[in-house]
Amino acid sequence: MTGAIRNALGAALAALVLYASPALGAGTGLVFVSNEKSNEVVVYDKNFDRVTSIPTSRRPRDMHFNPDHTLLYVSCGDDDQIDVIDVKTLKVVGSIPTGPSPEMFQLAPDGKHFFVSDEEDSRVEELEIATGKDVLDVPTGPEPEGVMPTPDGKTLYVTAEAADMVHVIDLGSGKVVKNIIVGTRPRRFILTPDGKELWVSCELSSEVDVIDRATNTVTSQLTFVPPGFREEDVTPVGMTITKDGSKAILTLGRSNHVAIVDTRTKQVLGYVLVGSRPWGVDLTKDEKTAVVTNGLSDDITIVDMQSMKPVKSVPAGRTPHSVIIDD
Amino acid sequence: MTRRRLFAAAACLLLLGTGGALAKVKLPAASTDPAAANAPARAIAIGWLGLTNDPRHAPVYAYTRTELRPADDPVAGAEMGIADEKTIADASGLAVTLDRHQAPDAAGLVAALNAMAKAGERFVLVDLPGDLLGAVAAQAKSLDLTLINVSAPDNSLRDLCDAKLLHTAASDRMETDALVQFLRVHNWNNILVLEGQAPRDKAFGDSFAASAARLRLNVVATRSFTLKRDPANREANNAALLTGGVDYDVVFIADSDGEFARYLPFTTQLPRPLIGSAGLVPSAWNWTFERYGAPQVNSRFIKATGRHMSGADWAAWVAARTVVDAYARAGTPDPNAVDAYLRSDQLRADGSKGVTLDYRPWDGQMRQPILLGTEDAVIDVAPLSAFQHQFNTLDTLGEDEPEHKCP
Repeated sequence: MTGAIRNALGAALAALVLYASPALGAGTGLVFVSNEKSNEVVVYDKNFDRVTSIPTSRRPRDMHFNPDHTLLYVSCGDDDQIDVIDVKTLKVVGSIPTGPSPEMFQLAPDGKHFFVSDEEDSRVEELEIATGKDVLDVPTGPEPEGVMPTPDGKTLYVTAEAADMVHVIDLGSGKVVKNIIVGTRPRRFILTPDGKELWVSCELSSEVDVIDRATNTVTSQLTFVPPGFREEDVTPVGMTITKDGSKAILTLGRSNHVAIVDTRTKQVLGYVLVGSRPWGVDLTKDEKTAVVTNGLSDDITIVDMQSMKPVKSVPAGRTPHSVIIDD
Repeated sequence: MTRRRLFAAAACLLLLGTGGALAKVKLPAASTDPAAANAPARAIAIGWLGLTNDPRHAPVYAYTRTELRPADDPVAGAEMGIADEKTIADASGLAVTLDRHQAPDAAGLVAALNAMAKAGERFVLVDLPGDLLGAVAAQAKSLDLTLINVSAPDNSLRDLCDAKLLHTAASDRMETDALVQFLRVHNWNNILVLEGQAPRDKAFGDSFAASAARLRLNVVATRSFTLKRDPANREANNAALLTGGVDYDVVFIADSDGEFARYLPFTTQLPRPLIGSAGLVPSAWNWTFERYGAPQVNSRFIKATGRHMSGADWAAWVAARTVVDAYARAGTPDPNAVDAYLRSDQLRADGSKGVTLDYRPWDGQMRQPILLGTEDAVIDVAPLSAFQHQFNTLDTLGEDEPEHKCP
């Protein structure tokens, strides 16, 4: 790296620290990264210095906080449970059994239930967090992954990776009410804050399909090809969206970039080079910084959202999967 | 303009500064409401043609009846492929079944194909040894069928230029190209080639020689071996003599029977690794593959069959999946349109190998990565990242369009 670039990065980082620190009263500021192969959640402070590593059950993947951010839930695919981490002590304090190989999950809007996709069992289940009781089981196509409950708690969307399908589940009746055929290997969702559009990343057809929730049909397919890449090199997986719904960040897997997209015009605002095979992404609360997990380079990349440039990359554990920020 | 070329053009535009992602055309209406879609599903039968008592799938027993591999009829892969596609078939109003036929000889196999064509079937997954497949395909040319070869690796079948024949089985050439890429990256440039007596051994050895020539590796000697322990023929049956008198970086062995290759590791005159039929083995699939959803595919297969998924099982599985996918996405029940979809670059098949797969227009071969594995680990996946191609890096494996010639 040349001195000039290093200085520029240093300046950008200093700026980042300056605007990341104040005015964010709530939260510990900690950044949590799950690591599938080293069975740990690595914790960083807001400057991305490593604080500690929390040993977990095997193959920790998706993570979510409880509503008051005192607990962090981590799905552990090879031990068929969701570990519970105390955010204050940074220790695993319990676990909730799930079906075989839990992958992605979401909290229900009431904060009292999980929706979990069980990758090996081709079903999505609803668990009561307090009791661990399985209150709903819905069979899906093979290899369910992304789950997205709607804010009204009435509907659940689930992707079935190996069936190229999004299932629409009515939570009142517990039945699949509609199947939407999407692109190849659909992975994950984002829902626009107005609830009108559901985006689903289709890893192997190199596209993000936009589902109109009023009709539950695919209205457009978006492709993202960073300069110098071919369409088949682009394998979108993880996504996140700003609180106002104006921008989405999409991780592009094999092409080692993330795309920052204007959600209204569906135009790419910029591509950012990160590490190898980015999948996980989260935004700081002020939305000035995105953190991306790079599964094949065992690190995370910190991205400045204004300049749309990488600020730095920091080592993680082995095969970092997801990132979640408590700020 | 094909979809992919279109995107290449779009990517160029992007570089020129238009800067936008491309919003594509809308999909054909392809979602269903299970409550409203109670109309009877359209029945689709996919044919399966196999050889009665096919020796390739019989259990492999070593001396004293030690079972090295259980019986492994790849029809199990096709059945799992149809089961895996049930969700998309249901959503598309299709009821898909597998119509399995077996016969002991070419005449019986051709009769079975006639029966399938008469029953209105269009796609037949064919699990036959290469020579028999060639003979049967030649006699079935007049039938309105698309045959998909799921198990014969013979390069010669790809050179038939039989427009009705597709292949999901990886060709010998794809597998030997994969090995040669690996050797080139490791700078193991000098190779001793050992071949058995069987025609398949010669074919695999020839394929390796062609691959080595493409990447300019040096075959230092080609020798044939035998299991017969005649002392007068010890240059061909004694491992140390067979691998002596010459220097090399690696030994390639072509042994379709497997018994000689089984005992070759650690017995070579020089301490060198083996590739081909022993050591580092190229295959369409490996039961320990950890990425791209492969563990789920493997665990479903083990649950269904009690054994590990082989390359032919994988090829049958992905063939069934592409056919159902084409029926679901072609947007019309017309078999010609389904066939056209299947062969087009609209097909973005998911074979749990991390990239989308489709069929090459010039020889009907499915483009696919090749796994280079040991008995319990995938060491690398070809195309290796160092190898580039002007259109599609998967075309660095197997006969590429400019090399392809019809007889």
